[in-house]
Amino acid sequence: MSLALSIRGRRGAFQLQVDATLQPQGVTVLFGASGAGKSSLLRMVAGLDPCEGTIRFADQLWRSSGLSSHGKRNVDLAVWQRPIGMLFQQPTLFHHLTVQGNLNYVAKRRHSPAGQVEKVIEQTGIAPLLPRRVDSLSGGESQRVALARALLGTPRLLLLDEPLSALGEEHKRELLELIALAAQTVPVLYVTHNMDELLRLADQVWLMEQGRIITQAPAAQELSRLDGVLAQRADATALLAGEVGRYASEDHLQSIIVGNHALWLPVSQRPAVGEAVRLRIAARDVSLCLSAPSDSSILNILPARVLDLRDVGPGQCLVQLGLAGQCILARISSRSARQLSLFPGTDLYAQIKAVALV
Amino acid sequence: MMLSEGDWLALSVSVQLALLTTVILIVICTPLAWWLARRRLPGQALLEAVLALPLVLPPSVLGFYLLIGLGPNGPGGWLANVVEQRSLAFTFTGLVVGSVVYSLPFVLQPLKNAFSAIDSKQLDMAAVTGAGPRDRFLSLVLPQCREGYVSAAILGFAHTLGEFGVVLMIGGSLSGQTRVASVALYEHVEAGDYVSAHRLAAVLLGLSLLLLWGLFRWQRGRSGPGAMP
Repeated sequence: MSLALSIRGRRGAFQLQVDATLQPQGVTVLFGASGAGKSSLLRMVAGLDPCEGTIRFADQLWRSSGLSSHGKRNVDLAVWQRPIGMLFQQPTLFHHLTVQGNLNYVAKRRHSPAGQVEKVIEQTGIAPLLPRRVDSLSGGESQRVALARALLGTPRLLLLDEPLSALGEEHKRELLELIALAAQTVPVLYVTHNMDELLRLADQVWLMEQGRIITQAPAAQELSRLDGVLAQRADATALLAGEVGRYASEDHLQSIIVGNHALWLPVSQRPAVGEAVRLRIAARDVSLCLSAPSDSSILNILPARVLDLRDVGPGQCLVQLGLAGQCILARISSRSARQLSLFPGTDLYAQIKAVALV
Repeated sequence: MMLSEGDWLALSVSVQLALLTTVILIVICTPLAWWLARRRLPGQALLEAVLALPLVLPPSVLGFYLLIGLGPNGPGGWLANVVEQRSLAFTFTGLVVGSVVYSLPFVLQPLKNAFSAIDSKQLDMAAVTGAGPRDRFLSLVLPQCREGYVSAAILGFAHTLGEFGVVLMIGGSLSGQTRVASVALYEHVEAGDYVSAHRLAAVLLGLSLLLLWGLFRWQRGRSGPGAMP
């Protein structure tokens, strides 16, 4: 256990009530529509907004109000005493300091160990920016510096509040990689309402609605759950874990091994053979046939078994497929489902029109 | 120079008074301006109105109430008793009290504007990066509000230097103690000594112009291209 929450808070008419436990590793994406209370929850965890209840991080009590087993006591660890790193939507660099000054500000207060500054500067690639004034940086550069600043404090928990929402596509990709890298050493609670970011980062998902967390689950599991919120979306997408296989240079295709199967896809950058990767497969890019088609242009046709299916919206049917012990989704018409007489247990072939590394 | 010794003394009293007043006001107005700028509490508008009164009241009205307040029967008199005096009126201490009241809005307003302009996210971020409240004030608020502090100090100083009506009511024009430059000038005119009056007036004019010119030049320099937002 890393972070255990049992808190209530109020902001005007909005009420927040959350009971949740953060996995000690990886990225937990706090997902939900705007106004669901995601940012409020993050601010309460950080101690920036008041809340009632209990916040415990590892062996440390951050917040405790009212009765506990030890009788009445009130603990409210101040923000600056919580070992956290945080990013807001806007980079929020201290504008009276240079980039270097911003880094020093944290290093001094968090007593960053020797070598930490250099390590983070190298990791985030901000060395050329150090002497710059912060108002001369682009949005992407600023957020990179802000991330470096957050990492410098050797946080034990990273709270990221839609850190990419103000950035262009290219900077997003860059920063996502840095965040994924950081998540290898520190748990991350990541707020977003963007499906791409969820697919790219999430190990765990917390779904939030109207001030409550309605689901806490592993991302791959939640994404392929037919009655889940994510599967109902038009952009429903499943994640497949795989391993990098050989590269067919004659066809410029990379193979990714999933169980006994290989999926072939074009890649912009060749990953290292044997590396663990994630594939994303959108439900609308998967079609089904009962026999293996031999005359299809589709590259990836894999045997699968129907696990479950469910009507979603007018004339549409969502099929959950088992594939090498994992799940993907197919969105097909209800008529097709009827004509193929699909039911749980049907063996068939999934034609995957598009698959990508996340 | 051509000023008489008495005028030099008066000028020195003025400058001492202005300096002391400015220092006191910066100390008082820092928490006050912070409170007014960053908090929303009932009664705030009324308080702000009271604090802004010196801007619009005739200095004689202010001086009159100060005279009563500082006199033997007012709170100032009670305070004076502590240091075994009868009254704070017609003393340098009394002048300082009067000047603090009189110049307060000129220090309060720039500080309040500067504090209002601070993005609360900056403060949040400073807290998240490990800075406690005192630390945040020193390492973030002060440097980001430097302009506000310089404006507040210069305006407070210059305005106290230009004080007349209030001093006339509570000063008593004791040479070396409560006789400030503006009053000395008035007395020259009363006595028909226009030569001395001209000289002193020119010095005051020059000094005030210099202060304000310096302030505006500095402000322009900072808001020019490439300056901090």
